[in-house]
Amino acid sequence: MNNGYAGQILRIDLSERQITTFPTSRYADWVGGHALSAAIFFDLTRHVLHEMQDGYHPQNVLILMTSPLTGTLVPACAGRIEVTGIGVQSHPIGWFTRGNFGGRFATMLKHAGWDGIVIEGTAATPVWLDIRDQRVTLRECQELSLWGQDAWDSQLTIWDYVAGKQHYGRWIDPGGRVHGRTTQRPAVVTIGPSGENVCRTACLIHDASNASGQGGFGAIFGLKRLKAISVIGTGGVAVHDPRALLEARLWLKEKYSFRLSDLKSTDIELAVASPPVPGVLYGNWLAKGPGDSFGDRPTEGQRPQACVGCHAGCRARYESGLGNEAGCVETMLCPDADSLEVQRRATDLLNRYALNAWEMVFTLNYIRNLNKAGQLGPGCVIDSPLDFSDYGSLAFVERLLHMAGTKCLPDGTPDPFAEALSEGAYRAAARWGRLEGDLRSGELPYAHWGIPMHFDPRTELEWGYGTILGDRDINEHDFQNVWAKASFADWRGREPDVPAADAVRIVRSKMPPFDDDPRILDYGDHNMYTAHMAKLVAWHRYYTRFWKLTVQFCDWRWPDFINIYASDKTGCTGLAEPRFYNAVTGQNLSYSQSIELGRRIWNLDHAIWTLQGRHRDHVRFADYIYDVPAASANGYRELFPVFEDGQWRYQTRFGRRLDRDGVENFKTEFYRLQGWNEATGYPKRDTLEELEMPEVADELGRHGRLG
Amino acid sequence: MARHRATGSQTASGAIRRREFLSRSGTVAIGGILSPFLVLDASGDLHAAYAASQGYLLVDTKKCQGCLSCMLACSLVHDGEANLSTARIQVLQDSFAKWPEDVSIEQCRQCATPACVEACPTGALTADPQRGHVRCIDPAKCIGCTLCLLKCPFVVKRLTVVQDERKLTGIRAAKCDLCADAPYHWSDVGGGPGGEQACVAICPVEAIQYTATMPKQSLQGYNVNLRDANWGKLGYPTD
Repeated sequence: MNNGYAGQILRIDLSERQITTFPTSRYADWVGGHALSAAIFFDLTRHVLHEMQDGYHPQNVLILMTSPLTGTLVPACAGRIEVTGIGVQSHPIGWFTRGNFGGRFATMLKHAGWDGIVIEGTAATPVWLDIRDQRVTLRECQELSLWGQDAWDSQLTIWDYVAGKQHYGRWIDPGGRVHGRTTQRPAVVTIGPSGENVCRTACLIHDASNASGQGGFGAIFGLKRLKAISVIGTGGVAVHDPRALLEARLWLKEKYSFRLSDLKSTDIELAVASPPVPGVLYGNWLAKGPGDSFGDRPTEGQRPQACVGCHAGCRARYESGLGNEAGCVETMLCPDADSLEVQRRATDLLNRYALNAWEMVFTLNYIRNLNKAGQLGPGCVIDSPLDFSDYGSLAFVERLLHMAGTKCLPDGTPDPFAEALSEGAYRAAARWGRLEGDLRSGELPYAHWGIPMHFDPRTELEWGYGTILGDRDINEHDFQNVWAKASFADWRGREPDVPAADAVRIVRSKMPPFDDDPRILDYGDHNMYTAHMAKLVAWHRYYTRFWKLTVQFCDWRWPDFINIYASDKTGCTGLAEPRFYNAVTGQNLSYSQSIELGRRIWNLDHAIWTLQGRHRDHVRFADYIYDVPAASANGYRELFPVFEDGQWRYQTRFGRRLDRDGVENFKTEFYRLQGWNEATGYPKRDTLEELEMPEVADELGRHGRLG
Repeated sequence: MARHRATGSQTASGAIRRREFLSRSGTVAIGGILSPFLVLDASGDLHAAYAASQGYLLVDTKKCQGCLSCMLACSLVHDGEANLSTARIQVLQDSFAKWPEDVSIEQCRQCATPACVEACPTGALTADPQRGHVRCIDPAKCIGCTLCLLKCPFVVKRLTVVQDERKLTGIRAAKCDLCADAPYHWSDVGGGPGGEQACVAICPVEAIQYTATMPKQSLQGYNVNLRDANWGKLGYPTD
């Protein structure tokens, strides 16, 4: 095929040790990534979805899926892969959920000739999957003593095994096809001890620090006794119009990317124009003051490091090798560490254990606060074997992560406190009888679905609403980044690059079909629960469902709403995404059509959640979101556009909380906009048929869940 | 296509550079200006010599961000598909290694005495005078014997193979031609010496540079410091 697809999908039945394939074209309507995965997932599980309340269900299916743009030259897109299945992290049930990760794995999979991998069943003994082009083999872990190795060692072991008597640093023949040769190492995604021990906090790790954290898919790997997937490909991805793709890439470089000869910023941004600097957050950002940088960056020799095809890497590799490729939340564990070196080593340990970084950051913060309050520690109400006397040292971090990743004390003894840590703070709090009270006070800042709060739903409205209407912390910075630019300027005592009115005008112009709503970006108190806000949340769901989750554009670079290199500050979103997509696929997709496709994908996801039991009543925040005003911990003011007295202004929204009835009003507005039943949240047949999903409507109807 | 553009002190035939090279290597030309021509080396042996290429690629392995965009662009512009294995420039990296040893970039050096050209039994590989004496492969003449790969003196062979079902061997050799023969070239200027090279144009951090001046014939001649003060502003070492 000449359209970006490899054309085949692998189907692995671990129970039967059976490897089959099916053509990607069977799901051509669903493009790739998340959409394609959701469609496959629905087909494979539709008859049991109503009883799938947790990722530990034996018929859970885990899917890794690329997009047609994977492995090509599309910037901040070509190197990512979607992971989909029922998760084990969310509460009250494990929703159908997703993650993704970057690096080299996605590209290697495509270049090996596969668009994705569907994993079913459970192996009788631990295995790993060895993909070398078209040669695919399930291998016993025992042969390499792989089970029991941490997430870094297991990759190195597999690298050596695949090379055999050959040596990296020269061309090797992986043995997958005639004349196949490469200089590249296999791309391996693996679990560490936490996954083997089926911890809900377990993630997948690829290379040093590419992680799929949310959902606890590491635990699913472990439960299925799948240690790792290794892939090395020596083929390529044919694209429809190579010239057009090259032209598009150079157009982006010339018009919208950073320019070394004309650096307009040296700070990392979550934007196309960001320079290639590591997004590390070492140090204690809560202790920072106005004007400070949020993260302490190592000063030793280093290079930027990027996923395949990315135009501006967001990580680094260092002269010491400490914290290689780590960024963002992976660098936030133990902010009170004794030194930067301890924090960097903690980051590496986190990746070796393959633990969900964001969850561990919050878990540590929670138990540390309880310890300070005299509630947790040896001999306390919560009698913890974790000694805090050397808190901040590497030894402390090692003990903590060992417990969380193995459910055992350092001497190997199974321990209930360690097991509680392995479940994450939300479930640990429940075990300790503190859940309800700490959610009410906000001591346990888990705003939704038993998952740590990221950006505050009381201020960053679209983030919170998007999360409770979905399945996980959305972790989609699209709008957040725009407002953060103004907030950072404020933090540094500068005027924002773009005044609020201009920012709203530019962003709104890129939001079809709602670009005619003048109040869609109003974060004022008067607009928190309105139909305008419903449109903002809906558009966000649609854009990200298609471009980020399905096509795999990276959240740290896209969309490009406002661009400091563009003459009028107007970014390339709306132009760039379809341009790249069409160059590779040969289609003629318009931007408006892509948003409509996002609506279709969003509705399929919602139907799956509904089959799992989702009802309007589930969709709510933790009590503290309604009862405790949002506050800044360090004087940093998050600014948002607010329309008051006939003008747009940036204003902080700290000090406000959500109103329970107001949120219910918002839900009604949102369901009405979606064409869902306003009382139950169930999809209506008309809506699903309009979206060409009659079989989904039929399945919902069989279970009495049509609205 | 800008195949005949003279740059710097160089003539279209590459004569000045050839004299510079011959002077450096202590050989005496007894042949004409055709490529190759015969020379006597210092030990008195007679062998072929070649007009110097009119273009070269320089890289900075300490600056590279490992995105492999150069490789994808290379295969795309030459073969119409994104393919790391057919890229004429190779970036090797180890996620767990320490900077700067975590990355190496292996590009064709357009050798003064190209072993690949000398090894080619069909005349497919030449220092092509139509393309600024860049060491080029005529795909029609290549039989996929891979002798050129075997004879390339570098550890990471600077040539690769492309699947070609028209060949009895099922493959043909491919190497860096500075995009002189790039069917999917994006620009009217085209590639080759004096033109635009895909890897140079695409590299986001400017870690690959084109030069018309023959580099010093050593690793240090081709792996150079391209990290200027602007790079330093981003917090990266420039020395």
